[in-house]
Amino acid sequence: MNNHYLSKIKARFLGFLFLMLSVSMVSYGQSQTVRGVVRSAPDNEPVPGALVLVKGTQKGSVTDIDGSFTIDANPGQILVISFVGYTSKEVPVVAGQTNINVNLDLSMSDLSEVVVVGYGSQIKKEVTGAIQTVNEAELKDLPVSSVAQKLQGRLAGVQINQTTGKPGQGMNVRIRGQLSVTGGSDPLYVVDGFPITGDINQINPDEISDISVLKDAASTSLYGSRAANGVVLITTKKGKAGQTNVNLNVWTGFQTVPDKGRLEMMNAEEFAQFKKEYYEDAGQAVPEVFQNPSQYRDKNNDWYDAMLQTAPITSYNLTVTSNKERVNTAIIAGVFDQKGVVVNTDYQRYSLRMNTDYQVSDKVNIGVNVAPNYVYDNTPRTDGTRGTGILFNALHTWPVMPIFDEQGELTFFNRFPSNTGNIFAYPNWVRSAQEIINETKQTNVLANTYAEWRPIPGLSIKSTFNAEIGNSRFFSFNPSTATSAINVAIPTVAVSVRDDIETFSWLNENIVTYRKSIQDHSFELLGGLSNQQFRSDRTRIQADTYADDRLPTIQGAINVNRGGTLSDVAEWSLTSIFSRLTYNYKGKYLLTASVRGDGSSRFGSQNRWGVFPSTSVGWVLSDEGFLQNNKTVSFAKIRASFGVTGNNNIGNYTQYALVNNTINAAFGNNVVSGAAVTSLDNPNLGWETTSQFDLGFDLGFLDDRIQFTYDFYTKNTTNLLFAVQIPQESGFTNFNDNIGEIKFWGHEFAINATPVTGSFTWSINANLSINRNEVISLADGIDRVYGSWHITQVGKPFGQFYGLQKLGNYANAEDLANSPKIPGRSTVGSIKLKDVNGDGVITFGGDNDDRTIIGNPFPDFIYGLVNNFRYKKFDASITASGSQGNEVYMRHLFSTANLDGVFNMVRRAKDRFRSPENPGEGIFGTTVGGGNVTGVERDWPNSNFVWDASYFTIRNITVGYTFTNLSKTVKSARLYFSGQNMWVFTPYWGGSNPEVSNQNNGQGDGGNLSPGVDLAPYPVPRSITFGANITF
Amino acid sequence: MKKYIPVLLAASLFFTSCEDFLTVVPETQLSSATFFKNQKDFEQAVNAAYVPLRTIFNDRSWLLAEMHSDNTYYARNVLFGAVDNQEDLADFSVPVSNGTTANVHVLNQWRQDYLIIARTNQILALIDDVNFDAAAKANVKGQALFLRAFAYFELARYFGKVPLHLTPVASREEAALPLAEEAEVYAQIISDLTAAIPLLPDKSKQEPGRATEGSARTLLGNVYINLKRWADAEQVLTPVVTSGRYSLMSTYDMAFSKNTSNKNNAESVFEVQYLEGAAGLQGNFMYQFMPRPISAAELQPIMGTSNPQNIDGEGNNIPTPDIIAAYEPGDKRKDISIGYVTLSGSFRTNKVYPYIKKYQSNHSQHNNHGMNWPVYRYAEVLLFLAEASNEQGKTGAAVGFLNQIRTRAGLPATTATSQTALREAIFKERRVELAFENKRWFDIQRTDRIQEIIIPYGQRIVANPLDYYYPPLAGAVPRSNVFTNLSKFYAYPAAESDLSPYF
Repeated sequence: MNNHYLSKIKARFLGFLFLMLSVSMVSYGQSQTVRGVVRSAPDNEPVPGALVLVKGTQKGSVTDIDGSFTIDANPGQILVISFVGYTSKEVPVVAGQTNINVNLDLSMSDLSEVVVVGYGSQIKKEVTGAIQTVNEAELKDLPVSSVAQKLQGRLAGVQINQTTGKPGQGMNVRIRGQLSVTGGSDPLYVVDGFPITGDINQINPDEISDISVLKDAASTSLYGSRAANGVVLITTKKGKAGQTNVNLNVWTGFQTVPDKGRLEMMNAEEFAQFKKEYYEDAGQAVPEVFQNPSQYRDKNNDWYDAMLQTAPITSYNLTVTSNKERVNTAIIAGVFDQKGVVVNTDYQRYSLRMNTDYQVSDKVNIGVNVAPNYVYDNTPRTDGTRGTGILFNALHTWPVMPIFDEQGELTFFNRFPSNTGNIFAYPNWVRSAQEIINETKQTNVLANTYAEWRPIPGLSIKSTFNAEIGNSRFFSFNPSTATSAINVAIPTVAVSVRDDIETFSWLNENIVTYRKSIQDHSFELLGGLSNQQFRSDRTRIQADTYADDRLPTIQGAINVNRGGTLSDVAEWSLTSIFSRLTYNYKGKYLLTASVRGDGSSRFGSQNRWGVFPSTSVGWVLSDEGFLQNNKTVSFAKIRASFGVTGNNNIGNYTQYALVNNTINAAFGNNVVSGAAVTSLDNPNLGWETTSQFDLGFDLGFLDDRIQFTYDFYTKNTTNLLFAVQIPQESGFTNFNDNIGEIKFWGHEFAINATPVTGSFTWSINANLSINRNEVISLADGIDRVYGSWHITQVGKPFGQFYGLQKLGNYANAEDLANSPKIPGRSTVGSIKLKDVNGDGVITFGGDNDDRTIIGNPFPDFIYGLVNNFRYKKFDASITASGSQGNEVYMRHLFSTANLDGVFNMVRRAKDRFRSPENPGEGIFGTTVGGGNVTGVERDWPNSNFVWDASYFTIRNITVGYTFTNLSKTVKSARLYFSGQNMWVFTPYWGGSNPEVSNQNNGQGDGGNLSPGVDLAPYPVPRSITFGANITF
Repeated sequence: MKKYIPVLLAASLFFTSCEDFLTVVPETQLSSATFFKNQKDFEQAVNAAYVPLRTIFNDRSWLLAEMHSDNTYYARNVLFGAVDNQEDLADFSVPVSNGTTANVHVLNQWRQDYLIIARTNQILALIDDVNFDAAAKANVKGQALFLRAFAYFELARYFGKVPLHLTPVASREEAALPLAEEAEVYAQIISDLTAAIPLLPDKSKQEPGRATEGSARTLLGNVYINLKRWADAEQVLTPVVTSGRYSLMSTYDMAFSKNTSNKNNAESVFEVQYLEGAAGLQGNFMYQFMPRPISAAELQPIMGTSNPQNIDGEGNNIPTPDIIAAYEPGDKRKDISIGYVTLSGSFRTNKVYPYIKKYQSNHSQHNNHGMNWPVYRYAEVLLFLAEASNEQGKTGAAVGFLNQIRTRAGLPATTATSQTALREAIFKERRVELAFENKRWFDIQRTDRIQEIIIPYGQRIVANPLDYYYPPLAGAVPRSNVFTNLSKFYAYPAAESDLSPYF
């Protein structure tokens, strides 16, 4: 090991030495000065910002606002003039010729576009990995707060679900279906070269100019032990060459939760009717309050609706960019203000970004990006299970209980007499939302600096420093007048929680890139060294019993709750060395090979370094003779890649045997502190390893008017981090080990097409992906892991719904007599379940278990569709995305369809089993028999909870009109309407959001093993906004 | 360009040693790499080794060793289900499949005993390599040996053959061990205790509540008695008497610790320590021993708390008519040991229930009391000596030890004279003197009287359920499988068996 370390240090030192020495090198050249103007062929307008390069060198210039350029070149050299959207042109320099004017033709193809890849960029045509890009223009106008929301529907192979509508939260991004048992599954977000540790959703999306999503191992493996979940590269805005732009983008509107799609609950009259029938069917006296349901006809209390509001949403962004002479600056200032659709939700973001590049000399560039932002968020405790999530609580509160008293004030507390079956007392949830403070204030600063030196043509030496500082202050206060739990009397004990987390992460990278073309051979060789460190300090203080609710200070509390206090430090460090070779022959035979070595503090001392190699090849068939003059096929490329990546989200200290020093004992009447080793160390603990193979092709037809991309991938994740249960005769409960294997595979299809061009333009971007997975093995001797409603089992996909299979309800006495049943619990009209093991008895759990897989939270396929239209100065776009075949476990039914009438119920329960003659729609069974009978349907997970949640959602519709040449100061102004989450088409009836996935519901389940559970979280709103985008 | 060189140089200063950079140990938690370095660490470690005893005696022992005998039973409350785990122990119907049982109390007893073993193994494996004060080291080591032996003795009596872990488990492979023969387990227990006796301080020199030389001798005496090694038992126990450190408290009720005032008294040889209050070290076994449903008003006079609350559920460890009848007339211990409470919420015609009263002591907060659990009292040392003497034919000495106990109980001297009669007299005396101290099952077990005592006891319950606290409701009778599992040892816990290749 020591030699190993030494060699690393040496390598790093040599790298530096090289960097230093190179500073003093100088090179010379001879040339003549060439001037010219670049114009657009169709309209003869000057093209500012076009790139003029001397072919085969790094020498280049950019056209100014008049389209003119100046460049030094030798006679015989060739100038390459290119600009996005135009076909590049090559012009030879003739001795003595000092003036070259160029007209560029419009291009249908984006193949000459430069694509941001890991640690560099490539021309799209030469990319050999599976990379998808999205640019600024595609992201504009969407009235949402986070970048992930903007990406929904746009990326093949990437499933982006909004699992809760809490502002700034709930975006679940999974690239190629990647999952882990215990490790994190979120992709790595890299902002301007810096893998960030904070929340991507806090970054103002208006700061972003390009996003590259790296999907296959060849694209990601330069990020080594963090790359297995895929990598999202985010590049922030820069000025356009030769231009100064001032742009103000303002939009404002409102958000609502449409009535359609909400979970339909009984109203007061229906509920009273249900209760009346409940007692009648049981042959019991109907309590007085329910004897006359019609008395509630005009006295409905829609508790869920009372929690909601129409909420304003506003965004201001001022962008100033300038790229003149040697300075390229972009300043983006943003204010985002969103009230939530649940009362008392408030989300604000103030953000600033200053990006500056300074060309010190022809050979030296430096740059600084600084992006501070501040986010204020107050969101009521909406999400959770029964008793903890106030939206769920509101949903099932009896609609006969008044929200307002006779004076029109919000009631405090509602309880019906015990003979009505009201076993829980309810606080007023609207009060809970209004009075309970639940706020987070976050300050983040993201900063990148670099210095780049190009001592000789083709060689670049770049050193970067990046820092990320985060400060999150959480404060919650539950005054004595409110509670978010059921059955808590008011006044209650006032409780405050303060939870402050400070994070700091820095990264230094030193990268040498050398490009060289020798005749038809082009090489790029990259080598780098990188160090990153992260630290977070957390302090939590909980205090309770306040003399005065108005002063929720710590000192105002009578108790500081020791069990609720915490101080914690989390740290990690990562040292890496990496290299990549890119080679092509004539631009048609392409090869890339890369390797990264990661040493991480998270890995055990005997397993500190991981090596992550990859290679990829490509062949541009359309450059071959047999296709070169094909009129139909304008482009064809085949790509293949293989590589290994890691997932290091295994916890910071998992390898260590930890000592708990709070295992205290008493002797006599004294307390003494005690300490014991509570976990086993594993010096061999390491990353989760994913090996991925990708095969894809890119096709262009009709001058690339139609572009088609297909990828097939297959990957195996091994060494899954697993807390393997061990016999407790050892004194320990489990051993953290790398064990188990999951196989993933899938297909991705994407089409870009422009069916109509001209004064009316229509373009389409459509994608469809199929992602599959199968558990190959778990730990030794363990072939399944159970959740409350899930099973992860060898030979099956991850996280399947698990329970009893419902066949219907026992139709009549004969059916009951002739069918397997639960002794003592099954009756006519109660749930009829499948006797899977055929022993004649329905059993839940134990040796004679009848449980089986009852549903799949994963879709058969997902798809997205973007349509863009332009007619003269009008533009319009429609973005949609969908998911087919995924199911949701409607967990809230355990309360919202509690047949004992303890809670308000889904309206569908009106149509339950009443008698053999009146069997209802077959979904809900009889109420007769009480908990002994109804408890089976409610408490035993079964397929009655599992519902199809396929959806097709019109994410966004935007219509705009652009005014040009308005005045001297205003260059252009675009007015637009944008509607977000306009319509959701779904058979799912359990709530407004079929994308729901409560992965951490506080009931012993959580994380990746239990996806697709609906516990009635914060609804995702529909937003209707109007905006103006003015360029000065 | 030159002006940037200092920046780059500064950058390179970040690169110190690679190994240092990548070694990040937890700052807010200790790890085994940083612990076990000094006297204080080992003292803390041995403190933590006592901790599982709190759970064992508050929640498990009385279920496995007292209610699993003819001394106590549950008081059936038909309003509550999910009570199988307790009922199965009380009415000898613990389900067994392939030599294992899913009974949760069996499982937790096993796990807690092995937690003591793991914690003591950690100490014993490392303590000799760390230099600190010899006396302090001997004390820690002695306590660790005592606790390890204590845990293995519990396991040997509950399960017979068990895995014998004597070194800390360091890897996944070492987690499971084969079952060791009973003789091997006992040999280890004896060896540990023999080693512990000279290491442990005398009671007068030890912090009250920790294991002492007397505790180790008494435990070893109990082990020898269990093995019917009578002479060894007498030899190891006699110094406990002659040391002069122990005596019977003047009255029987003063033998028990009370909430705060009488802990680790002169009669106490070893007791499990609880502490009332918010430190999380309290017990609540008095509450678990209450028949139910009991209202706050009915509970308050017994507990003396300021915030009594209603308790639902099913009451456990309720004294049987058998134990009540076992007290001789005039035995002062009877009213001290057993109290009566009337439950207004009971379905029984006679709503009066007996409950275990001997530990009773007023405390301030509901469900939170500080009474210690008597594991070994000097009274038992005398009864051990009586038994060991009698079995060796030293009848006179035996009678002397026995009568010390009877005298305090307000009873006349024993009338037994023959070895056989005296054997029976000691057996009966143990039953009442040590009633509800989790001794009864082990006494029945080690004297091979399971069939003789438990079968008729079961027949009495089945024939007269009303006498055993069943309510006079249809269906509220003993279940069909009661008294079907009279095995000497509990089956191995299924959850552990699932993870071990050896059982």
